[in-house]
Amino acid sequence: MRAVIVEDSVLLREGIVALLRENGIDVVAQAEDGPGLERIVSGHKPDVAICDVRLPPTFSDEGLRAAIEARKRHPDLGVLILSQYVEPVYTAELLASGEAGVGYLLKERVGEVRAFIDAVERVADGGTALDREVVAELMRARTAGGADDGALGLLTPREREVLELMAEGRSNTAVARALVVSGGAVEKHVRNIFAKLDLPASDDDHRRVLAVLTFLRAGAG
Amino acid sequence: MLLFVSTAAPPIAQSAVTRWSRDLLFHAAGVLTSNIGLVLWVTGVAVSLSVAITYVGLIIALGTLLACRWFARIERRRAGIVLGAPIPERYPPLQDTRWSTRLHMLIGQPTTWRDFAWTGLAGVIGMTLSSLALALWGLVLGLVTLPAWYWSLPDGAELGIFTIDTLALAFAATGAGLVLVPVVGWMVRGLTVVELSWMRWLLSPRAVAAAEAGDAAGAAVLAAAAKSAPADRRAPDAATTPPLDPPMTLPLSLHVAFSLLVGLVLGILWAATGFGYFWPIWVWQGLALSVALDVVILRAQARRPGPERWLWLHGELSLTIATYLIGIWALSGFGVFWPVFPALGLAVVWAVHAIIVYRDRLPLRAREQALAERVDVLTRTRQGALDVQAAELRRIERDLHDGAQARLVSLTMQLGRAEERVAGQPEVAELLRRAREDAGLAIAELRDLGRGIAPPILADRGLAAAIEALGRRAAIPVTVDADPDQRPLPVVETAAYFVVAEALTNVAKHAGGAAARVRVQRDGDDLVIEIADDGPGGADPDGGGLTGLRHRVEALDGTLTVTSPPGAGTTIKAELPCGP
Repeated sequence: MRAVIVEDSVLLREGIVALLRENGIDVVAQAEDGPGLERIVSGHKPDVAICDVRLPPTFSDEGLRAAIEARKRHPDLGVLILSQYVEPVYTAELLASGEAGVGYLLKERVGEVRAFIDAVERVADGGTALDREVVAELMRARTAGGADDGALGLLTPREREVLELMAEGRSNTAVARALVVSGGAVEKHVRNIFAKLDLPASDDDHRRVLAVLTFLRAGAG
Repeated sequence: MLLFVSTAAPPIAQSAVTRWSRDLLFHAAGVLTSNIGLVLWVTGVAVSLSVAITYVGLIIALGTLLACRWFARIERRRAGIVLGAPIPERYPPLQDTRWSTRLHMLIGQPTTWRDFAWTGLAGVIGMTLSSLALALWGLVLGLVTLPAWYWSLPDGAELGIFTIDTLALAFAATGAGLVLVPVVGWMVRGLTVVELSWMRWLLSPRAVAAAEAGDAAGAAVLAAAAKSAPADRRAPDAATTPPLDPPMTLPLSLHVAFSLLVGLVLGILWAATGFGYFWPIWVWQGLALSVALDVVILRAQARRPGPERWLWLHGELSLTIATYLIGIWALSGFGVFWPVFPALGLAVVWAVHAIIVYRDRLPLRAREQALAERVDVLTRTRQGALDVQAAELRRIERDLHDGAQARLVSLTMQLGRAEERVAGQPEVAELLRRAREDAGLAIAELRDLGRGIAPPILADRGLAAAIEALGRRAAIPVTVDADPDQRPLPVVETAAYFVVAEALTNVAKHAGGAAARVRVQRDGDDLVIEIADDGPGGADPDGGGLTGLRHRVEALDGTLTVTSPPGAGTTIKAELPCGP
């Protein structure tokens, strides 16, 4: 797998590069600002771009804008945003650019090495990787946004947990591992969730995640 | 009579007595010189004209002109008695020694004709003014010394309507004479100034006189003259001749001369018609009034523009009118002193004017003004302090992001990597995991700290976007109406953001799920933030969250009002001044 990274802090950039390389991900190029992202993406055609939100020269949401722009030009590019904060407006904008092949993680998640590498691989593979904080915001918005049809209220606490983990982008297997339950149990919860929320059933992990995200986002303002 | 009495407010360098002595000396000399001038001029002109067709006539004409020049030199020195220095003189050199050429050159020089003019005028103006001056001082001397000689007159001294024939009356006359000293002193000063203004007009080097009159063309002539004739640089500039006091311009001196002429003619007319009732005094007083008004206006023009100028003008006009009325009272045979009433009225009006002009300097006002200035300074410095504080907070937030937070993230990452490598030692792995989780908590705490300073979206996208985000995250339906181009100062922006955030939290908590409307708009110099809900109302305006908001808003000189009648929803309105 080929990745590029855009991060202005040398300390973090080099740490992440080392981490990725240790786990068999080929970091083919690095940049430190918004325009640099477009340059290395068109130059190296990577599978995934890992990108900070706050970048020079403006140190505002430069990285996010550059990433969304890059996704428009390179539809196959996976984009994983790393940020020090969750801003629902930003995640909404990112997801609006297409739910497949995107990720938004808090920076400290790089310390959970396995989960982080999974996320990078998932995004590169056209899947989704959302931070649990992002999912929590989505759930909150779904409940509070005024368009709530009360569907989430039908879920049992366990089903809610499963829904949240799915929304993060995890496969059934990964959900089972996280909840320390069997694959079959997760499978049963998922079926119930899809039935209660009236979502189209599917065997494909990616498709199920997308359905969940579409559902959650439909409720957010 | 009133000529300069009413205008005596000079910036005195010399004492009044010194001035008056010099004026007297000036006029005493003037009586002599003006006689010489008159004789010289009349003789010279008459003889020159009568023998003009012969060479002798030309020679006499040349002699007359040179004599006028000599006379002018004497007169310039006479002016020095009062001015302190003679009027500067500048004659173009007469190189050729042939008398006909010299006459030709003399005739071609304007200076020659001005000298000639003054020689003639000195006989008329100078003699009239100087004689008048001496006569006035003579009157004073006569009155003061009356007790010494009144008895020598067979019928006593006739003084207008009074006859002095007792010692008591004579001493009364002495008193009157002493009172007249300053009056006459200033009257003679006036005569001096009139005469000097004529002298300066005619006897000063032309360019200098022109420059004195503020004539740019004249100054240019002087500059040109200085350039073309470097040998003639001795020409003193206008600054060396001291200014006249009171100021005197040519129109005014013409006014005075005309008035004197009319007064003189009327006096002669009176004498010619058999010395009846001395009616010319009334015309004299009228003439004096018009001259006095002229002087008052000139003085006002010379002052610096501003309210004080009008106050001075007002005061001098009032004084002139009052003096005029007193004069009428005196001329109409004294009696009841009625001028006191109009004089009092004028004084009151002037006092009101003065209070208006100087109200800022009254002690009470001064204190108010000091307070107002203090408030200005405090407002400015507080605004400055708040701006600095806001900037400082944002800097801290940025430093946290780039510094501590980045290091903690890096630490988390190292710990994670270490964790991977000790997979075979569960105890170590557990320790590392806990360390990593602690680092993660520290990062989260720093993140909350940063959010409290200013949420990222506010700094990145501005107030409208940040408020819209707040509305979307709120647990209640919120409609937002905010102008996206609105970017007030960071300190105002942050306060507005937190007002909305806190208010929406309150609505969600207390309004039973009612919808809320947020409106942010500029109203003049204020940013107005309004959060209204349809809830049950009856909110406590001093409730916990609202008090905090109020402090935040009031620190920016803003106001926070809470309207919450029971059953009719709650409206929180914050007005934050944010400059023009």
